[in-house]
Amino acid sequence: MLARDGPAIETRGVTRRFESRKGFLFRDITRTDALQGVDLTVERGSIFGLLGPNGAGKTTLTKILSTLLLPTGGEARVLGHDVSRDADWLRPRIGLVLGGERGLYNRVSGRDNLRYFADLYGIPPVEREARIRTVLERVDLSTAADRRVEEYSRGMKQKLHLARGILHRPEILFLDEPTIGLDPKSARETRKLIRSLVVDGVTIFLTTHYMFEAEELCPQLAILSKGRIVARDSVDNLRQLVGGDRTLEAEAYGFEDRELATLRHLPGVSKVVEEEYGPATRLTIRVRTEETGVDEVRRVLPGHDELSVRERRTSLEDVYLDLVEEEAR
Amino acid sequence: MATAAVGYSRWRSTAASLRLSVLMFLADPQWLIPSMIAPVIFGLVAFELFRGAGPYFLTYAILGAGMMSMWGQTLYGSGWATGQDREFGTLEPTLQSPTPYLYIVLGRVVWNVVSGLIGGGIVYVVVVLAAGGPPSLPNPLAFAILFVFVMLSLAAVGVVFAAFYVYTRYAGFIQNIGEFAFYVGTGCMFPVVLLPFWTNPIALVFPPTWALDALRYNSIPGYVGFSWGFEWDLVGAVVTTAVYLAIAGTVFHRVERHVLEVGNLADF
Repeated sequence: MLARDGPAIETRGVTRRFESRKGFLFRDITRTDALQGVDLTVERGSIFGLLGPNGAGKTTLTKILSTLLLPTGGEARVLGHDVSRDADWLRPRIGLVLGGERGLYNRVSGRDNLRYFADLYGIPPVEREARIRTVLERVDLSTAADRRVEEYSRGMKQKLHLARGILHRPEILFLDEPTIGLDPKSARETRKLIRSLVVDGVTIFLTTHYMFEAEELCPQLAILSKGRIVARDSVDNLRQLVGGDRTLEAEAYGFEDRELATLRHLPGVSKVVEEEYGPATRLTIRVRTEETGVDEVRRVLPGHDELSVRERRTSLEDVYLDLVEEEAR
Repeated sequence: MATAAVGYSRWRSTAASLRLSVLMFLADPQWLIPSMIAPVIFGLVAFELFRGAGPYFLTYAILGAGMMSMWGQTLYGSGWATGQDREFGTLEPTLQSPTPYLYIVLGRVVWNVVSGLIGGGIVYVVVVLAAGGPPSLPNPLAFAILFVFVMLSLAAVGVVFAAFYVYTRYAGFIQNIGEFAFYVGTGCMFPVVLLPFWTNPIALVFPPTWALDALRYNSIPGYVGFSWGFEWDLVGAVVTTAVYLAIAGTVFHRVERHVLEVGNLADF
């Protein structure tokens, strides 16, 4: 039994199976396990990032946590309440931004969309217009508020989704790819808005494909692959998990096996991955300590006139790719 | 940002849905055809069809054409709007709000009844203009009240049908199959007693059958409908309408639960 107070989100062994049927007389049932035992804890007042490739189960998990889908197994609690049993209690306290081109009434104005949802969320009539004005200003959509949504660009629709998501002042906000389709300036403003919501005490559950966004916003994140959480920690700890926060890249026209073996034995080297990179070969060397650097790599790879070696910080993208590829194997 | 979880108000949610329905109607010129132009055509066709068919042919024409222009809008308007929610992708955010979907449908039903009555009014005016004068109605006030009640009985069935649109994206297909059968079977165009006897028990399952028979009894002297007469028609209409509304409440609750289990809200 999960506790009622405590974390904003807590899941234990959450599974979700989808069944699709084909045929009329002889039904062919296809079963897909979108989530296979997800355990997750998200603290209140934080931004939690969920990363994963397409089809990993991110949207399924988001929908379960926001009461739009029932899990087929396990237990999921949001704000201490079971998402299956206490949906009525949770819904006024949850904001959901699924984003994209759909999900809005295109033939009416942005303001009328917000008025409609303000009423469905029971926002007091005396507050409604002022609240709508405020959220429109926050997402920088005030000047277009009275235009029909069908005239909006994709980015403007995304902003309207966001405005709707925060209109009723939720305690927890689920954001599924919130900056997709936004220009860089708008995306930056959206990230600023997300940070300001956390300052206001809102818990944010964010799914994104943009690694820099997750790295910038999320102190804690999880990587979901094939319906399983393959890692869950801070970005720094995840770097260590995949072999260190320093990455050296060496590029030349082919390396010998003995050279790779030597590299693997250098101090602090945790991983050496070889990949074809056009006509050249690239070695990605993950290093845990300071002892091994560009000079050491050059020293053990003599005889490559065209050799280039550079050092960079292990990015979240490296972490993500390592973990997802490992899971795929 | 202070959190303000206040839930919802049934009246405000229904009113919001009604308001949005009106805005969507005004924003979409395609609605002009079924709501404004079709009643004119139906009225003229019915006038020619019933012309000379007894002393009360005008009333028959008004009822036949009026029902034709109203029934589809009122019966299926709410379901169709739910289908649009699937198409627009607005079904998910709407169901995710604290308001039960039933109140969204009720708001749409109110608008569909109003727009159906506007269509009925247009038919009345067209037939009266074509005939050069109004029909002779024994009790015009009772006629008007019963007319509105027929709309409500249609709307009650419409609410139940709307649940199918939430349930499955194939509801439109089912509706198209049943549309004409329902129209004829409930006596929209002509009395149900003219149909083979075996169809009568099926027709009586639907509130509009009772309500329309009552309306004809009231407005056409000498009308021969169901043998039990006007009063029992009225009782039957009220009871079946109430049963449908009760069913709607339960059905919506279960359908909402079902779609969360199946996870087909985003399908279109």
